[in-house]
Amino acid sequence: MKTKHLNREQLPSFFNAITQAGKIVIAPSRIGDKIYFTKVDSWEQVDLDFISSTLSAKAALFPRWEPLLQFSGDGKMMTVKDTEIPDTETVIFGLHPCDTGAFNYMSEFFEGGITDTYIQKRRSKTTLITLSCKKADDACFCTSVGISPGASQGSDLMLTEMEDGNYYIEVLTDKGENLTASARDIFQDYAVTDKTPYLAEVPLKFDLTPIQEKLGNSYDSPLWINQSLPCLGCGACAFVCPTCTCFDIQDEGDAYAGTRLRCWDSCGFSLFTLHASGHNPRPVQSHRWRQRIMHKFIYSKSDDGTGSCVGCGRCLRICPAQMSITDQLQSFAEVK
Amino acid sequence: MLELHNRARQLLETQAVNLILGYGEGHGDEPRPVFIDKPDTVTRLIFNERCIQNLAVYLLKPEVRTQGKIGIVTTIPVSRSILQLAAENQIRDEEVVLLLVQADGKVSEVTRFSELEGLVAQHETKIPAPDQEKISILQKKSREERWQYWVNEFNRCIKCYACRASCPMCYCTNCTVECNQPQWIPVPAHALGNLEWHIMRVMHLAGRCIKCGECARACPVDIPLHLLTFMLNDNIADIFGQRAGMKAKPDYVLSTFKPDDKENFIR
Repeated sequence: MKTKHLNREQLPSFFNAITQAGKIVIAPSRIGDKIYFTKVDSWEQVDLDFISSTLSAKAALFPRWEPLLQFSGDGKMMTVKDTEIPDTETVIFGLHPCDTGAFNYMSEFFEGGITDTYIQKRRSKTTLITLSCKKADDACFCTSVGISPGASQGSDLMLTEMEDGNYYIEVLTDKGENLTASARDIFQDYAVTDKTPYLAEVPLKFDLTPIQEKLGNSYDSPLWINQSLPCLGCGACAFVCPTCTCFDIQDEGDAYAGTRLRCWDSCGFSLFTLHASGHNPRPVQSHRWRQRIMHKFIYSKSDDGTGSCVGCGRCLRICPAQMSITDQLQSFAEVK
Repeated sequence: MLELHNRARQLLETQAVNLILGYGEGHGDEPRPVFIDKPDTVTRLIFNERCIQNLAVYLLKPEVRTQGKIGIVTTIPVSRSILQLAAENQIRDEEVVLLLVQADGKVSEVTRFSELEGLVAQHETKIPAPDQEKISILQKKSREERWQYWVNEFNRCIKCYACRASCPMCYCTNCTVECNQPQWIPVPAHALGNLEWHIMRVMHLAGRCIKCGECARACPVDIPLHLLTFMLNDNIADIFGQRAGMKAKPDYVLSTFKPDDKENFIR
């Protein structure tokens, strides 16, 4: 791994070098009081002073809706045309390690087993620049799910702001190497440095392994009913979540011509599991809430023991009923 | 606080209610709804100026209804919601006991919704000043500018339906957006889908919005969608002289027919 130094004043030049190479940049930008990952055209639109963006950056790979194919026909023959994913290279700038971790999960989910070619192509053309966290809030819990404020796994380039405001750079992949090579004169070689003093402290909220054990035996626990009573059944937690990947397929048009779309969906909605027969295998909110927690921590558990929750804390921050995934997991830990 | 705890404990002990719905400590500074079914846990109940979520939304949720008779910690917006729900025949006196918390901490028990009418009449239903200011700015814009303003705002909508889920008046078990034969409202969160959803939501709340602002508070992307229902509520009051959430009797504007209506088309 190469390590480099980037002067704070050189950030706009770095940005310009990326865009001048014809790449799209998706970066945190402020609308009102909130930060959103959005396509930016100039460095002035970028705001790196944030703990968490309201929505994650997952839409860069998995848009809230996208056309999958066009169909048309004369009633006898049908022609189907796949949507072409553009060849443009995209750079996502300023992801925090939790969100980069979410990209690792999304790759596993969409590209492992049956490959989702739309998302695979986007992912292959995406470069991730992660920004270490220098601050955190009490909703953050990445350290409880195996990530940390300086974790670099999945990043192509990792930036850590040092005491003097300049950046310590870790060049982690060929894609990262290409980016620094495109702006060679603004990066200086730099010794391998201990990032710890520059990172936010995120205290452990829970001990994952024993909770997973408890959850594994809690499918029929009465706790689900009590915990889910405040749940309003909206999809806010799923839609702000960087690793919620469920979608719904919709056709728009008529029998002769139209578009097949993929749209975000949420297991919190009653319609999510409603069968055409009228039967709903998850008829009540407690079943849906259990599904959400079980999927995050048990069903999606990978070889390293972590699930698909990256501890970004977005669901805690936005829940209109103040439900807290960390408090709820903790209450499972307390079950005798 | 002590009085609230005592009243709640008494209601549970005497089995006058099966469940107390109120506010408890939540994450950080924000209280969260708590559902208390045991007398010895009533001390979890809190009440302060941060307790603003409109708890009336839970009264019609099937999961809550199946718990039996509910005691609910009641604020002014909750009172207005309950009156409107009663006016729409969604809830009856005998299903709920209201624990009305006054500004001085006193708690009074209300078992007949009509007793709330006097209370809500004393409290202004005027649009709060900061919201009125935003509305005034919008009203000064041209029709095209206003349109563009809402198109921009709705552009952020992710169709999580938190606005719908948090609204006590959005209680349909099968919402229009869930009808798919035919699909009235496009499912995707694209420009048309978002616009149609928000127009539909607002129109269905015409004359029914009790102005709690819960929809905007719930919106994760800060769309000020309460301004639309607030404005519509004022329009209805100007035209028909009626406001939602003021009376428990079912004679609110959308369910009222008068033979001497000034409009010809309705006769």
